[in-house]
Amino acid sequence: MNTLFVVLIAAIVIYLAYGFYAKRIDREVIRSDVKRATPARMYMDGVDFMPTSKNVLYGYHFKSIAAAGPIVGPITAANIWGWFPSLIWLVIGVSFIGWVSDYSAIMVSVRNDGNSLSAISHRLIAPRTRTILFVFIFFYLMLLAGAFVGILAAILSARPDVPFGIITLAVMGLLAGQMMYRWKMDLILVTAVTVTLTIAAMALGPWGQHKDEAGKLVQGPVGRAVVALNGAVDDLSGRQPLFEVGDPTNADPRIPIPGKDGVRPSTPAYDAATGLVKTLPNYLLWMVFLFVFSYLGANMPIWRFAQPVNYIGFWVMLITIVLSAIGAILAPLTGAVDSAGNAIGAFALAAVKDLGFGMPTKPFTAWQPLWPMMFVTIACGAISGWHALVGSVGTARQLEYETDGLPVGAGSMFGEYTLALLSLVAVSIAGVGGGGGRFAAGVGKLIHAGTFGFVPEVFGTALGFGSFVLIVLTVTQLVFRVMRVTLSEWVGETIPLVRNMHVSSLISMGLTLALVLTGTWVYLWQMFGASNQLMAALSLLVVTVWLKSEKRNPSYALYPMLFMYFTTLFATAVTARNLYVTIAANPKMSGLPVAGAWAMIVLAGLLIVAALFIGWDGLKAYQRYAATPTAPKPAPASV
Amino acid sequence: MPENDEKKPGGLKGLWRGFRETIYGMSAHDMSRAALRTRASMEHLFILITMGDMLGIPILPPYYSLRLLPYVVPQIATWKRRMLREKDVSDAMF
Repeated sequence: MNTLFVVLIAAIVIYLAYGFYAKRIDREVIRSDVKRATPARMYMDGVDFMPTSKNVLYGYHFKSIAAAGPIVGPITAANIWGWFPSLIWLVIGVSFIGWVSDYSAIMVSVRNDGNSLSAISHRLIAPRTRTILFVFIFFYLMLLAGAFVGILAAILSARPDVPFGIITLAVMGLLAGQMMYRWKMDLILVTAVTVTLTIAAMALGPWGQHKDEAGKLVQGPVGRAVVALNGAVDDLSGRQPLFEVGDPTNADPRIPIPGKDGVRPSTPAYDAATGLVKTLPNYLLWMVFLFVFSYLGANMPIWRFAQPVNYIGFWVMLITIVLSAIGAILAPLTGAVDSAGNAIGAFALAAVKDLGFGMPTKPFTAWQPLWPMMFVTIACGAISGWHALVGSVGTARQLEYETDGLPVGAGSMFGEYTLALLSLVAVSIAGVGGGGGRFAAGVGKLIHAGTFGFVPEVFGTALGFGSFVLIVLTVTQLVFRVMRVTLSEWVGETIPLVRNMHVSSLISMGLTLALVLTGTWVYLWQMFGASNQLMAALSLLVVTVWLKSEKRNPSYALYPMLFMYFTTLFATAVTARNLYVTIAANPKMSGLPVAGAWAMIVLAGLLIVAALFIGWDGLKAYQRYAATPTAPKPAPASV
Repeated sequence: MPENDEKKPGGLKGLWRGFRETIYGMSAHDMSRAALRTRASMEHLFILITMGDMLGIPILPPYYSLRLLPYVVPQIATWKRRMLREKDVSDAMF
């Protein structure tokens, strides 16, 4: 297998799924009509409801949906089950489920006066569905934030060459906001200055890195400074771990790669004898840094920090993605080789690893069966509930013509699928490293090949690491912003103090901190993936009920909904089981991770109960509309 | 087909325009929306204070409202729509 084959597979799948299946559904089931007035034209207010060019909207929707998900998911799944099952799920998922969810969520909103999915579910399914959805969204965001903070803190702790670029990004974000909005400087100049400086800082992190005679990595000046800082913080506890946690998938960035003998060596953060990861004070330092970063993003005026950071992040990511994509095409054609003399375009990762269907025989071992776990580990890129939220509120209200719904909704989903494939390619061609490390190494190789060797592999890898952290971080700060808004709307009436943005931010961060301290981020990711996929299933449920109410054939949404609904319910239950067996009931674990694991088990139970309520209400609504002889009257205008 | 589709350039010019619009959509469209939303919120707050009578909120004596009315007229339709539209948490998210 090589990278060019994956590029060809991507092109063929998009051609077939979009050109035939998606267009047919748009034409025959949804019956989009260019002459029918969209909410953007009917209720134009120049702000939320605003007819917008489909190209602009495609870019907007794509950027809103394609964040860290399509990168983290395939990386994690490929490391656990191999690249082949991940590739198959991405292809089948996007072809029959992913685009269906994105496109349909937009169209159901367009046909219902631009109302959000929760408002539509309130009307079509049951009033309590909306309330449950809000609660669901809050915990879903909490899991997302926990998973992201967990992996970022681990990367910043394990990789001394990464933090400098990220600290620079924070400074550049503040500077860009000042330059754009206060000094009114030209946007191109602001972009050139801040993006260049951020990329330069990312490259400066690994500058001077080399291996000594014994083959040990020696950091450059910037890396040494970070190592010294980490060491000084670790001295606070006498370099002893605060507590230890286990990662059954070995995806934690703090776990070192195996040596030539195939055995993982012990490091200050990893005990090879027990296989446990040691949580040192420097891990907490970087976690606090991430919380401070996110606090600024969540509470400062959006133009001052969150928006400019996102803007800079977008350009860095775009450069990384474009160069990597060129590399994926060129590497097999030019026969480019990496620093070790291996062909860059060839896959080094095993196609299929342990599919995990058998129950583990060793005590305190996680169970990771391909079904249902892979289908929640890879969320974005195949299908995601986040997209439905963005589509129904942000995109649907800007759609100029109904016929733009397909290129914008389905087109963006296929674009995200391409990004997920690129992540899969990057992680598959890199021979060594954990999740994020393997991705960064793969990106380094692709960029090296994509620039005909002009960019050295080590800087490409730094850019890969930096981009990975950056895209996750930009999403995290926005998630905390949304969490505080959701929390204050949810309980603000009962507890007025929560309306204070600082209080609601601190509560959100405190709850997230408790989850992160379980220490096993892969469970957090899988719990988030399950809740995300469940959200997608619920959005498909709304679409199915709406189609039934309109007397249209709902099959294209109904079957994907049933598959995702039951898959994610089982996946949540399996994750709860894994948390109990490997952490909560494991005598090696100490108090804090055990408490965190129990919190997540309770959360898993809540998500399952919420999903069962919504599913039951959805079933009753479906039966109600099935028994109605004619289509009900169109939804009344909101005003 | 929509009328203004006829005015759109085809060929390379159309491709270039599509590329520019997509990059704008990815990079800066959300910033424009946030700026517009901020301005709209302030304008609508102003209208609420000066023209609250229309929604049953008597804040300013009608004399002053009447004097301000000509300046506010172009905004009234969208103002009423935004003020009275049912909103929920997800509206604040994106």
